[in-house]
Amino acid sequence: MGRRRPRPHPTAPKAMVRACATIEGMSPKQLEKHYDAVIVGAGAAGLSASLGLLRSKAFDRMRQEGRSPKILVLSKLQPLRSHTGSAEGGIAASLGNVEHDDWHWHLYDTIKGSDWLADQDMAAILAENAPATVIGLEHDGVAFSRTGDGHIAQRLFGGHTAEFGRQPVHRTAYAADRIGHQILHSLWQQCVKEGVEFAEEWYVSDLVVERDGDGMGHARGLVVLDTHTGKVHGIEASNIMLATGGAGRLFHTTSNSWDLTGDGMALALEAGLQLEDIEFVQFHPTGLAHTGILLSEAARGEGGRLLNADGEHFMDRYAPGHGDLAARDVVSRSIMAEVDAGRGVADPKDPDGPRDCVWLDLRALGRDVLEERLPEVCETVRQYAGLDPAEDLIPIKPTAHYTMGGIPINADGNVYEWADGERRPIEGLYAAGECSCVSVHGANRLGANSLLDACLFGTRAGAALAARIEAAQPHDDGADDASPAVADAADARRHIIETLLKPSSPAGSDSAGDGASDASDDNAYRLMADLGALMERHAAVRCDHDGLAEALGAIERTLTPRGDRLVAHSDTAAYNQEVTAILEVRHLLTVAQAMLAASDARHESRGALFRRDFPERDDEGFLAHSMTDARHAVSWQPVVITDYPPKSRAY
Amino acid sequence: MTIAATDRVLSVTLRIARFTPKPERAGRRRGGSPFGSKSPFGGSDAGARSNRVRGKRWTQDYVVSAHASDSVLDCLLAVKREQDPSLAFRYSCGHGMCGSDAVAINGTPTLLCTAKVRDWAKPDAPEYANEDGFRPTGEPLDSSDRAIDLDALAPGTPLVIELAALPGFPTRRDLIADIDPMLDQIRRLKPYLQASGDLKTTPNGKVDAFEYLQNPDQLKRYELLSNCIACGVCEGSCPVYAGGEAFVGPAAMILSSRFLNDSRDGAGAERLAALMAPDGSAACQSVRACSMHCPKGIDVGEELWQTIQKVDAAKAALK
Repeated sequence: MGRRRPRPHPTAPKAMVRACATIEGMSPKQLEKHYDAVIVGAGAAGLSASLGLLRSKAFDRMRQEGRSPKILVLSKLQPLRSHTGSAEGGIAASLGNVEHDDWHWHLYDTIKGSDWLADQDMAAILAENAPATVIGLEHDGVAFSRTGDGHIAQRLFGGHTAEFGRQPVHRTAYAADRIGHQILHSLWQQCVKEGVEFAEEWYVSDLVVERDGDGMGHARGLVVLDTHTGKVHGIEASNIMLATGGAGRLFHTTSNSWDLTGDGMALALEAGLQLEDIEFVQFHPTGLAHTGILLSEAARGEGGRLLNADGEHFMDRYAPGHGDLAARDVVSRSIMAEVDAGRGVADPKDPDGPRDCVWLDLRALGRDVLEERLPEVCETVRQYAGLDPAEDLIPIKPTAHYTMGGIPINADGNVYEWADGERRPIEGLYAAGECSCVSVHGANRLGANSLLDACLFGTRAGAALAARIEAAQPHDDGADDASPAVADAADARRHIIETLLKPSSPAGSDSAGDGASDASDDNAYRLMADLGALMERHAAVRCDHDGLAEALGAIERTLTPRGDRLVAHSDTAAYNQEVTAILEVRHLLTVAQAMLAASDARHESRGALFRRDFPERDDEGFLAHSMTDARHAVSWQPVVITDYPPKSRAY
Repeated sequence: MTIAATDRVLSVTLRIARFTPKPERAGRRRGGSPFGSKSPFGGSDAGARSNRVRGKRWTQDYVVSAHASDSVLDCLLAVKREQDPSLAFRYSCGHGMCGSDAVAINGTPTLLCTAKVRDWAKPDAPEYANEDGFRPTGEPLDSSDRAIDLDALAPGTPLVIELAALPGFPTRRDLIADIDPMLDQIRRLKPYLQASGDLKTTPNGKVDAFEYLQNPDQLKRYELLSNCIACGVCEGSCPVYAGGEAFVGPAAMILSSRFLNDSRDGAGAERLAALMAPDGSAACQSVRACSMHCPKGIDVGEELWQTIQKVDAAKAALK
């Protein structure tokens, strides 16, 4: 090399150090006594909310007045690890870059996809503001795929149509098959620009909601575990936003990352709040067999076909006119029906195993198209199945993908509870993204609507937080108005974690004989696997009362007591993943019970929920949102219907 | 030929470099910031602590039964479930998108979830060394070459995979490394789009396109770079980076290159100027180890070389 290279300097140049003085380090330098807002989760919803807050006019005004609201974003993961990054297919918006489109068509498709369980006023916000949301993401740096003339490219996607169901429409903006990665990284990058303060690998164990004399709920704060040190902190906050993602790890076969343990949902339940429509879990039809890893719907959008053991292209039989691009629940159930009819195939990796898969055939696309449009799909198939999508049939199986239900919120992300036939807001508590339910997905989410939901309603929630902070008196740190509830909850949690690390007596020793050894042999990872298998057996894709009751009974009699007896196998608190896993599996158990109770209460089949014992939709009885609390009490909230009265949902 | 036909069950020893930090005494707790002098978590001596954590280090073997096509992450998860729940390693998506699980496998930085047993298992024998007595450490680039020929092995040959935390960073516990230095360095180089904000307008001044226009060829110039998942594999591979502050690191430079090549970005001159600092492009020694195991297939070394040339040209223009 001809170039002369100076020796590396032993210390960083001063100019660079100065440039980043405000954002050094991954944990807050100083934990404040009180925060104006704490956002839990750093995926699409949490980051969108952070930006929505910091870029709002209200925040600008506060800055000009010399106010500097204290805002903290907590994540149980490191930056950029959130599951948003795995989303492949796209984000829907009626931009009309490829062909004429209209947001009313997007609205109609969303409602039809939801099996008329979406609140139509919320779905209208989603569809109407989708184009601005996508443009905003482009301005934030997302490397969208482009049309020849430089506009954001759009592709076909299941359930998205023109003219109210007449024909498929190119509505889904995409970035090859890495749209989630692009959005996650671009939003994080913008947060770096704005100087957002993060606390990484902090796990929220408790949400503190206090009731006033009238029974109204007020968010007071959080208890968090700093997993780096093992230290428990009580954090007081005037506003809390939950953006913790879904609960796919309830099921053994899932496309979700290992961290999707329903934490925000469980926090809400444990704080005495309800979950809305939690019985609706979308199973993505094309999970790569026995890994659960998702093969993007784009694989079918680009022309992939599903074949049964006889080589029959069976989707035309179940969904004439839509075929392989029918809604996800329709395709998932069709696959299960083929498997039940004995026309399933075994995973070639396990040729003597159960014939519980069908084939995805991408061969007709040709190698060049595959590599250009579906690079991640091809890579996944090669890596994890050892197959060549240009030559081989690919075994696929429905995989738990998305929880439509969640923490009930209004259009501004404010959490509410349903009591005495009305919505009662929880003051200072917000949510957005998959952990929430604003009810745009109803009983079944349309593909490419989840990133849209998270970014759009996340941003709205952030703006609402800013408005609330502006309207409130600046918090006086000197004032001794703190509620003891947060400190009390932190003390209680500290004690629990000390017990997990150093059990005073061998756990379970009260049940003489097998108890002691059972408890120390057992662990959170095994319990999570057992719960996943149980839920998969009784609640995946299809269910009935007997199975749901059996699953609920098994959780109450066996799994929850096992969860209560768990202890850690190392007493070192720093980076003790097992402690986090114990808290996570307890969260999963809490959410699982609510899910089973809600599924059992809904005596109909709608969208993603298929009850063998109630196979028909029942609009008379159940055109309503289930509202389920931790005591399994289910009440019903009517669906908001504005423009589109329920019709049959034929694909 | 698909691998399914040759998939088989193997007994493999996972040999893991373990580390448990010593419980901290009151007043000496670790905060997150290595620079913070005022830590909420402890006393005023926080700034004086060494980056090397005290604790117990040892090597532990776990024998697992695995399919040749299983990932090393699959094996570790089985260990957590069945043998030792206290074993610590980061993991999340499990399919190479989140970037959580970079470690050293047989001394080579790579991701646990994309590493296959068949590609990394090697005979576990002290005599597995070349004639000079050195044990091979590096791995050839081509994974099919790296894979051992299972048929050629004598039956019952013990197999081993060695695991350690990502090199170049402080180890916090078992396979968990502290990659905060990398993230701090990424942040320093302003890793966000700085667009002019101008939109395409019609001749009479009306906005004609609301997105910043970018044709597919312009996209192609940075699309691959934008796929970086910030896993740290390139950093752990870089012999200059090891040690931290002397070199801003390949990951931060790749992200800077991503924006340098993005037609929408208007801060090219500032980005190049930032890379003129002594820890910037001048610190790269073009070893190109960073290219070897990038899970996103970025030829990191070549991309850095392209950027270095731009920096040099900009520097020359300043004179």
